[in-house]
Order: sequence, then structure tokens, then C-alpha cells
Amino acid sequence: MRRFFKKLLPPPKWRLPVLVLFGIFSGLAAYILYISNALSYLSDDPKTCVNCHIMTPQYVTWQHSAHREKATCNDCHVPHDTIFNKYFFKAKDGMRHATIFTLRAEPQVIKMHDPGKEVVQGNCKRCHGGLNENVSAINGTLETSKHGEGRLCWDCHREVPHGRVNSRSAVPNARVPLPQSPVPDWLKKHVEKQAESK
Amino acid sequence: MESLSNKIKRKPWLGWVMFFATMVVVFLLGLLASSIVERRAEATYAYKPKVELAEFEPRNQVWGEAYPREYDTYKQMADTSFRSFYNGSAMIDMLEVDPRLVVLWAGYGFSKDYNQSRGHIYAVKDIHETLRTGGPTGPGEGPMPSTCWTCKSPDVPRLMNEIGVAEFYKGKWADKGEEIVNPIGCADCHDPKTMDLRISRPALAEAFERQGKDINDATHQEMRSLVCAQCHVEYYFKGDGKYLTFPWDKGTSVEAMEEYYDEAKFKDWTHAISKAPMLKAQHPGYEIHQTGIHAQRGVSCADCHMPYKNEGGQKFTDHKIQSPLNNVANSCQVCHRESEDELKKNVYDRQAKVIEQRDQLEVNLVKAHIEAKVAWDKGATEEQMKDILQDIRHAQWRWDYAAASHGGSFHSPVEIMRVISSGMDKAQDARLKTARLLAALGFNEEIPYPDIATKAKAQEYVGLDMEKLTKEKEVFLNTLVPKWLEAAVERENSWDKN
Repeated sequence: MRRFFKKLLPPPKWRLPVLVLFGIFSGLAAYILYISNALSYLSDDPKTCVNCHIMTPQYVTWQHSAHREKATCNDCHVPHDTIFNKYFFKAKDGMRHATIFTLRAEPQVIKMHDPGKEVVQGNCKRCHGGLNENVSAINGTLETSKHGEGRLCWDCHREVPHGRVNSRSAVPNARVPLPQSPVPDWLKKHVEKQAESK
Repeated sequence: MESLSNKIKRKPWLGWVMFFATMVVVFLLGLLASSIVERRAEATYAYKPKVELAEFEPRNQVWGEAYPREYDTYKQMADTSFRSFYNGSAMIDMLEVDPRLVVLWAGYGFSKDYNQSRGHIYAVKDIHETLRTGGPTGPGEGPMPSTCWTCKSPDVPRLMNEIGVAEFYKGKWADKGEEIVNPIGCADCHDPKTMDLRISRPALAEAFERQGKDINDATHQEMRSLVCAQCHVEYYFKGDGKYLTFPWDKGTSVEAMEEYYDEAKFKDWTHAISKAPMLKAQHPGYEIHQTGIHAQRGVSCADCHMPYKNEGGQKFTDHKIQSPLNNVANSCQVCHRESEDELKKNVYDRQAKVIEQRDQLEVNLVKAHIEAKVAWDKGATEEQMKDILQDIRHAQWRWDYAAASHGGSFHSPVEIMRVISSGMDKAQDARLKTARLLAALGFNEEIPYPDIATKAKAQEYVGLDMEKLTKEKEVFLNTLVPKWLEAAVERENSWDKN
């Protein structure tokens, strides 16, 4: 084992440049973790979901709904069968979201994809199942709905909880806890002063 | 194994590959970092229209140019056609509905005139027109202090900023008539730069501070009630400077505030019939709401009184602030799945039951005042009356805390009933003590209930010259008010020239 690591180590005369390079990489990676609020993605705080401001319509409609008091974003949108599955799904979904956001490929109206639908349907049942076990529609899954043999909860409960109007420009003046500007206060003040003196 | 440097010495292209690969990775990482920073910077501009509004812009229509949807719904408050079972958006002459109020407030402004209020948009117009503000003929005249303006207009924070808070409260109501013309609106609750909710009145922040809390720590959801709590609370005018103060230092329950007032030896007025040192509850709507189930489940004022509204592809907060009973679908039914009729019935049931008991307390209070007067007439001494008057003060304070609390019978029916029952107890205490005193003074007969079947009869009974008051008001409305409005137009035009 030790020999394996030794092999990875660069020859002595290379040590310094490699150390510096490695430092640059780690620093850059740490900066990206910091600036992207990466640690917050481990939490269940709905604020995390407006790290990207394009989720504002979803956040604000949830915040005006009855689910606000009982269910966070994660309660519905990630699976809760096992903790491994929860974080696996979160990571998978998160990578997709991050990629699309970085490529600026987000659609004007954001809709759930099949894996997401399956998870949400499962979570509807997880909380509301007990009350609704005699309602035949509760047995619907993504599969049955695709084959026209059942429905998803929100096929009927269409306003729950985000409502039917959900384009990215649907909530022009929403007040949501968006992340603050990454520009430090002293710099902002400086810029303002500059603007004033013009 | 051959060392890397030897390898590169042999095949120089390997070195170049490593160089370019590292460059590409660092370049991409940097690109990612800059993209994240860019998009975060984007967030600070998203959902914030770039409109230049002055820090204390009081004119709602100027804000309205930037926020047309919110302003449109705000203007709908001019509609006064909605009637619920007891209240609604129309002006209702409460003294006509319930002439007992005239006797309960004998010697105080509210016995002259008291209307169930209309929407915020009428705030300035209605305070001009009520008989309570009298008919001042110029600065320094009239019955009311300047503090009465505090909750009426976004001109208030502007003026407070110009002349100072304590200075604002000083003097007479008529002194500042030409300064305050825009009805309650945008700048009362919003920051003109960010549109975030903000506290514009010092009294609430000061009350928080005295309780050892910092109002800046409030969450957005709390702010959606706290901006309302700037006005819809119990307050009084402290000292000669008439400094607007919330009596919250010991707590916000009816007993805690009563204790505060008793300790401060504060009274709003001396009752004209019983001579009791009275307290006038303002409108402890926020305090009572906090004790109710909706507040305990995290529901804010705005959740029901300003629900979300759809218009085409847009969603926004309905700024027609009104009774949720006029918009059950968007308020109650967001959480409750019962039918609209059922939900309304639930509200009216609670209101009816509370009012039934409140009315009974009113009857007892009227009797308590009148019996106290008889005791004075029969030669009772101040020492003998002291306890009785204190009981009357406490009983009516409890009645008023319940009656004036705007929606209290819905917001917190159990607390309201508790307050009314304890008021009933105090009122009966007062009457028992008076009966015993009267017996000691050699009088042991039933005291007749006065004929106060109408507002006019009740006002005559308490000795109000309504004709004079109405005439004064008319002169005021026809001469002074137009001058105020003219001066205000001139002032506001001068801002636009700059």
C-alpha cells in the first residue's frame, strides 16, 4: 500500500511545482464549493432550492400554500425510503440541475421529469396514504398513469401546491431568500460612491 | 520504473500534453466558478424592478407606475360594497347600530362619532370627516393631538424623517394637516429600493427593544404580520409629548397591559357619568391574533388578508386588503377543504356567540356607570367610590379590548370569550359594591335603565351638542381641508421639478 502511494509521489525535484499546482487546484475547488453554497445541498432547508434564482416561482408558490407549514421541498421531491436512496437521488438530480443551469439551458417553464414524478407520487402517498386508503385513485403510479389505468395525485389536485401558473416570469415581484450578492459590502459601497461622483 | 522527467526528456510531446491538459482543466474550473458568480449576481437583480423611488416617496400612484398589478388591486379598496354578517368594507355608523357605546364612552371623543372603518385608501378622508377630530380652524386648534396622524399615511415616515419623531408627535392634529394627505399605502410597509417589507413606524420597534427583542431579527413570514402590527395594536399617547407607545412591557395579554396602565397611573379620560378613570382600548388585533390557532400554526395576516392572486400568467399578492370572507377561495380554501358556505358559517357562528356575551357585558357596564352616578348623587365620598371606579375601569377595558380588536372573535374566539367573562366578573363586582354602598347611603331601589334606544337619544342623555359639532365639522371641511390639499399639491409638484 505504502509503496503504491510512493509511486504516486513525484520525484524530489518535481515536488515544489506539483505542490503549488495541487494547491491551485484544491483552492479553486474550495472556492467553487464556497461560492456555490455547496454544503447547503446536504440540508433540507427550502432556502437551498433558491440558490438558483430560477426556482423562485416554485419557492414562492410553496410558501403561499398549505404545504408550507408541514412539508419542505425535500419532503416531496426526494425519496425517503432509505437515506442512501435519498442522497443518491439528490446527487443525481442535483448534478442534472447544476449542469443545465450552468449551460443556461433551463426551459421557460420548468416541469418534472419521470423520475421526479415517481418520487413525488410516492411522497404524496407517504403522508396522505393513511387517510386515503379507501380512495381507489391512491393506487395510481407513474406506470399506471402512463397506460391510462390510473392517475397521479396532481392530475386532479392541480393547484397543489405550486398552482398551474409556473413560468419563470410568473412571479415578477416575489420576495424570497435569494442568496445575497457575492460582492463584499466594502466593494459595493465603493462602486456606489464611484457612481455618485459621476 | 523510468522517472517522469526522463520520459519527457525522451518524448517532449508528453510534456506539452500535460501542460495543455492542466491548462484546460484550470480554464474550465475557472469558467465554472465565474459562471456561478455571474448567476449569483444575476439573483440580486432578479425579481427586483429597477425603479428609482425616493427614500420617503409617499405618493402611492408613483409607486403604482412601477408596480401596476399591486397598485390596481390596492385601488380596489375603494369598493365599499361588501357586507359580511357584522362588518364588511362599507362604512357603518356603529353608534347607530349600538347606542350603548355612546354611554360607555361618555365624555370621550368616540361618543361623538364612531364608524366601522373602510379600506386603507380612505384613511385620510375618513379622519378628516369624523366628528372626533372636531372642526379646527387652524394650527393649534381642535381636540386631537398630532399623534393621531401616525397610522394614517406614508407621509408620516417622510415627515418624521424631516422633523424628528418626538417633534412629530408634539402639537395639535391640525398643525400637520397640510403635510399628511396620501392614504396608507406602499411606503408604510415596503422598502423603496428592494421592496422588502420594512418597519416604518418607530413605536413597534421601540416596544420590541424594551422587551429585549430586535425587530430586525424577524423572519419574512413574521414580517408579513409585523408590518400590520405597526398600527393594528393597542397603544397610548405617553406623557405631555403624546409619544406613541405600546404598553407591551409586561406582555400583551389583557391583564399584562392593564397592569402596565395601572402602574403608570394612566387614563385616557374620566367618564362623564361615573367619573371612573377610563382606558380606551385601541385595536389590539395583532395581540389577539397571536393567541389564536391560526397564528400558532404559522399563518400571517397577509396569508388571509392579502392572498396570492393570478392574473394571466402572473402571480402576485392581492393588495386589496380586506375581509377574507370576501375572498374565501383564495384565503380559507388554500388550507381548508370545506365549502365556502360552511366556512363562512363557522366564522359567523363564532362571531355571533362572542357578540351575544359582549352585548350582555355592555348592558352590565351601562348599568354600572349609571348606578355609580346615583351613588355620587346620594353623597358617596371619593374614598367609598375608589374601588368601584377601579372595577368599572377594569371591566370596560376588558370589554373594549375584546370589542375593538377587529376580527378578534374569529382570530382567537377562546381568548376573546375569556376576556369578556373576566370583564363580566369585574362589572358585576362593581355593581355589587355599588348596591351595598347605596344601601349604606339609605337607598335600596332598582335604578331605571335609561332610554338609549337610538344614537340621538343616547347622545342627548350624555349631554352632547351634536348640532354644534356637525356645524363645526362642516366649516372645517369646506374651508381648512381644501387649503391643506392645495398646499400639499404644491409641495408634491415641487418634488417633480427637481
